[in-house]
Amino acid sequence: MKKALNEFIHYLDVTAHVIKMAFMTIIEYPANIAGWMISNPLQFIMGFAIIKFVVESFGQINGWNYGQLAFLYGLSVISHALSMIFFVQGWFMGYFVIEGEFDRYLTRPLGVLYQFFFTNINIFGVTDLIPGILVFIYGCVKCSVSVNLLFILQVLIMLVGATLIRGGIYILLGSTSFHTGSAVDFGQYTQEIMDKTTMYPLSMYPESMQFILTYLIPVGWISFYPVSSLLGIEGRYNGMMIPFVTLAVGILVMLIAGAYFNTGLKKYESAGN
Amino acid sequence: MKKYLYVVKTQIITSMAYEFNVYGNIIMQTIIMITSAYFWKALYKGRDMVGDVDADSMLTYVIMSSVLSVLLITNVERRIERSVDRGTVATDMMKPINIFGVYFAEDIGNILALFFQNMLPIILIGSLMIKVPAMADIRDLPLFIISVAESFLINWIIAALFGMMAFTAFNIDALIQVKKHLLRLLSGSIIPIWFFPPAVQKVLGSLPFVYIYQLPLSIYIGRGSRAEYLSGMKIQFLWLLGLSAVFFYVQSRVVRKVMVQGG
Repeated sequence: MKKALNEFIHYLDVTAHVIKMAFMTIIEYPANIAGWMISNPLQFIMGFAIIKFVVESFGQINGWNYGQLAFLYGLSVISHALSMIFFVQGWFMGYFVIEGEFDRYLTRPLGVLYQFFFTNINIFGVTDLIPGILVFIYGCVKCSVSVNLLFILQVLIMLVGATLIRGGIYILLGSTSFHTGSAVDFGQYTQEIMDKTTMYPLSMYPESMQFILTYLIPVGWISFYPVSSLLGIEGRYNGMMIPFVTLAVGILVMLIAGAYFNTGLKKYESAGN
Repeated sequence: MKKYLYVVKTQIITSMAYEFNVYGNIIMQTIIMITSAYFWKALYKGRDMVGDVDADSMLTYVIMSSVLSVLLITNVERRIERSVDRGTVATDMMKPINIFGVYFAEDIGNILALFFQNMLPIILIGSLMIKVPAMADIRDLPLFIISVAESFLINWIIAALFGMMAFTAFNIDALIQVKKHLLRLLSGSIIPIWFFPPAVQKVLGSLPFVYIYQLPLSIYIGRGSRAEYLSGMKIQFLWLLGLSAVFFYVQSRVVRKVMVQGG
């Protein structure tokens, strides 16, 4: 027990150093900071504006009004931002496999997956977080939700779960590179699909697709089901426990992804020989 | 010319080498296309016409937008960034061949490979699962082809101009993202800008982005009259001229800058 605790403290210590290093790296390229500061908020402001325009043209989206959509969009962007901070490396795993970068991690006395994500922590993800929080607060006001302790707890729990689901999916997709031996940058596509399935109500898609997105690729749990339950919108799943289901699904996806990553790592051969 | 054709050929072979990438891309693009189709189907539920377009034309728009997005894949910005970052740009420029010509030839080669690998499968899957994306008026086909060619060039030049920022900014990952989002959301590739408020439409109409996606797609689905297409294409052509001028000017400046650095 004491040993495990010591190890945990050691990991925390390393994490603190790594975050410090990440800060130092980002200030190396000033133009890059400016770029991210513009790029990320811009993306979500425009995305949100588009929802507004669509709602103005069509009245509502599948029975969801503007305020509810803002609530959904905001929470979806927040969990996206958190997954960008901690798990964006999964998008580039292919390049690490191809270029033999895992050698470096394998020689160190820390978990490979831990090193892979945390030595490359992406501080810029914060620039996604801020527009997400703003839109979410706007949505809360529009829907006039009553903010109490339970609500805050539910939101936090579902955000942790949603971040884990997204991260797990990135790891699963990235780990395919171990088996295929090619580097594919699915990041852009993954994000586009996630945007389409988490920022709009899932109920607008046909039954078969909803089934897939609920049970096979559990993106429905990232935002649609928990938000439906938080806002009290009738749907397939209701009740105050849904955010906790999201957390459970997140942990499950992460466990599966970790196992898949480890089987891939066994197949990993270094670059040269 | 022969040199560049050789680059095109090499690039086609390189692009063909990774099978998994091909299948992965097709699957991903198909998912995106089908979700978009259902998105519009859900929006149009119980309505005939919104923004002068019916649901059926909107589905054609979605399929053709996916097809066009394959044609508009550029690699030039990443190529420039990498060669500046690794310093190979100096040796590249010593070769008796225009470096930007090589990048252009590489992108052409890539697209030729993608034509069979991605575009045809997407049209096929789209026809089977959504609808056959037939052109509204086949007589506009020449206009459509010309405007697609121009939008390809405009798109490539914008990408190259962003790429050239690497000579001064060194790391342009973020700038590439800025460009990507601008293009995705302001060009009408996901949501046509005719659903936007009139004031926003006017602003976007004066930017080059709508001439990349929305103009050729409008011609394809037959939204508007032939006179409107022609006036749109006139502006498109002016954008092409203007951007080309900027491109050649910046290119000569950039080359000089590298020469100075090299001693």
